Amino acid sequence: MDDSTPLPARKTWPALLGLAGLLVLVFCASLLLGSARIPVVQILRILTGQPAANQNWTYIILNFRLVRSLTALLAGAALAWAGLQMQTLFRNPLADPFILGINSGASFGVALVVLGSGLAGASFLAGLGVLGDLSLAVAASLGAALALGIIMLVGRRVRSNTTLLILGLMFGYATSALVSLLIYFSAPERIQAYTLWSYGSFSGVTWSQMRVMLPVILLGLLVLLALPNVLNVLLLGEDYAKTMGLNANRARVFILLSASLLAGTVTAFCGPIGFLGVAVPHLARNLLHTADHKVLIPAVGLMGAIAAVLADIFAQLPGAQFVLPINVVTSLFGAPFVLWIILRQRKGGTTFSV
Amino acid sequence: MKKIFLIGCILMIVILAACEPLQTPTEVISDATAGPIYVPATDLPAEVHIDYAQNFTLEYQDGYKILTVTQPWPGATQSYTYFLVPEGVQPPANPGSAQVISTPIDSIVTMSTTYFTFLEDIGQLDTIKAVDDATYVYNETIRSWADSGQIKVVGGGSSGNEVDLEALLELQPDLIMTSASGIADMDVHPRLLEAGLPVVINADYLETTPLGRAEWGKFIAAFYNEEARASQIFDEMAARYQALKTLTEGVQPKVTAFVNSDYQGTWYMPGKESYPAILLQDAGADYLWQDLEGSSALPLSTEVVFERARNADFWLNVGFATDLASLQAMDERYADFKAFQNGQVYNFNARASENGGLDYYESGVARPDVVLADLIEIFYPELQPDHALYYYQQLR
Repeated sequence: MDDSTPLPARKTWPALLGLAGLLVLVFCASLLLGSARIPVVQILRILTGQPAANQNWTYIILNFRLVRSLTALLAGAALAWAGLQMQTLFRNPLADPFILGINSGASFGVALVVLGSGLAGASFLAGLGVLGDLSLAVAASLGAALALGIIMLVGRRVRSNTTLLILGLMFGYATSALVSLLIYFSAPERIQAYTLWSYGSFSGVTWSQMRVMLPVILLGLLVLLALPNVLNVLLLGEDYAKTMGLNANRARVFILLSASLLAGTVTAFCGPIGFLGVAVPHLARNLLHTADHKVLIPAVGLMGAIAAVLADIFAQLPGAQFVLPINVVTSLFGAPFVLWIILRQRKGGTTFSV
Repeated sequence: MKKIFLIGCILMIVILAACEPLQTPTEVISDATAGPIYVPATDLPAEVHIDYAQNFTLEYQDGYKILTVTQPWPGATQSYTYFLVPEGVQPPANPGSAQVISTPIDSIVTMSTTYFTFLEDIGQLDTIKAVDDATYVYNETIRSWADSGQIKVVGGGSSGNEVDLEALLELQPDLIMTSASGIADMDVHPRLLEAGLPVVINADYLETTPLGRAEWGKFIAAFYNEEARASQIFDEMAARYQALKTLTEGVQPKVTAFVNSDYQGTWYMPGKESYPAILLQDAGADYLWQDLEGSSALPLSTEVVFERARNADFWLNVGFATDLASLQAMDERYADFKAFQNGQVYNFNARASENGGLDYYESGVARPDVVLADLIEIFYPELQPDHALYYYQQLR
């Protein structure tokens, strides 16, 4: 294998088309497989708008499986895109979409609603009682937006990426301390509700939430689509980027905006979903042997979507009545797989730094 | 500590043995044919039987009582035994690993809210000197005492907060009653025992039947030598429970019911031998997950729940919601349950404190007859002309 050289265009397109085909296949499978046992013929009838033998089946397919599969697809792609941007911006293969505290912000919002409402009497939370009426998605969105605001504010002023990284980490520590404080003073049932949220899930999203989730993710993608050249230059280092005439500060603001919108929305609606955002960009670089973001952006999106939908199929344990938390599936089954791919393909060479 | 404890026990035995000739009234009269042995001189109550509870036994021997908690926590491999020795009775010569506690106790520290009603029933609520946490307590007396500082808040137990060992050592209660998880780092009882404090594990929550759980009132009362009184209260309650249960026998057609709510696609559904499932069955409802084995709740996929329960008549125990609008705000799909559309959604949060402490979890444990009456009122209102919902409320 000739490492480190970008795939010629004639090889890139078949690879991307193959991934797209695989995504369609996996998406269909996720509609067919689920806990409720519904015959394939009936599912096809439902999807083509014909009446099914059982009204409940129509309901389940349209209001549970379709929206869940779509959520998984969008969330997987969004997290992978956000992870790719963070890894490139910080030139660090361990960076994940949440490295700047987006997750912590969302967690804090949810913790305030789930855990704080029982504490209406506690003085430091007086007045926050209104939050108790918000749905988790709204709370998480507000929390993520708060984190996003802080990141953008700091991102415009701070000159060095390292400083930004440290600030993000500190923000994360501070918010998780507040969350711990809330947990410490909460009733066990509420702690359980919070813990369940932190497991992550694609199943909680309803169609009315999808109407918010989809446009925001598309907005994040739109910003990202203007950035492939900028990302390619950044990969060579900030100093090099400057000599190329790139306004590093402005580029950073746009990257932060796109990544935060993508990751923040997913966390708001699905909870903190780990692993995908870190692993998928690596997988894409290794499978396509390129660091060119013009190729990586579509590839990472497709692979992220495939991975998330696949993970969701496993989490639903088709045929069984039970479900597993999504984070368990992604990390437990995904980690060995990614390790295998990387160890098999990487023989000393790295495609990360071109 | 154990050594000191042992030496103490031996000393006590020696002293008591030396005193024996003077204390003729405490002399043990054994009658092999009658089985249990009584000490006539002390005012020990008549022997009390345990009829429903599976997780503890109460035996009488040589004037003292032997309380054994079969399973102190889920999956425990060994039982815990307590010798309850009434004043003036000779303690057992060889208690082994068992703890010896002299009765009646005058002060107690409670680390679960489920004990309050049992203590109130035998008139001993004021022996509570400290609780684990007062924030989510429903009992108004306890809350006012905690506010005024009459009882201390010491953490530990089900509060999950760090236990205030110093406060407990200063308090020197006759007994600390707590639940245990079996995870050494999380449980307080090993540390309390190490500090020489008398701790008893109460595993009432592992009891799956409502009557079994309520029978733990006798367990608590035994430490006050009041188990006869507790037994009388329990028997009357159990009789009411059984009468209510008979009321629904043969009811046709049976209503269908399901419980709990979704959490991000996961729906914890209790097994058929669980506490809520048994209550539903005793109330004459057809619990829709009768095929789920065991007594714990299992994480079902929400689509499976919708498939089976969409046309169910009743939906109960829906979490934090107090009205239908807030329930629908949590997940719009809830509104598609037939029970939701017909307004047949009920929750046991009718009696809640300001902070959300629920009386259902407190007095409900001691009064399963009232819980059952509520359920029958919900399912078959014509069977009880004058019962008004007590723990449950209809969501509107």
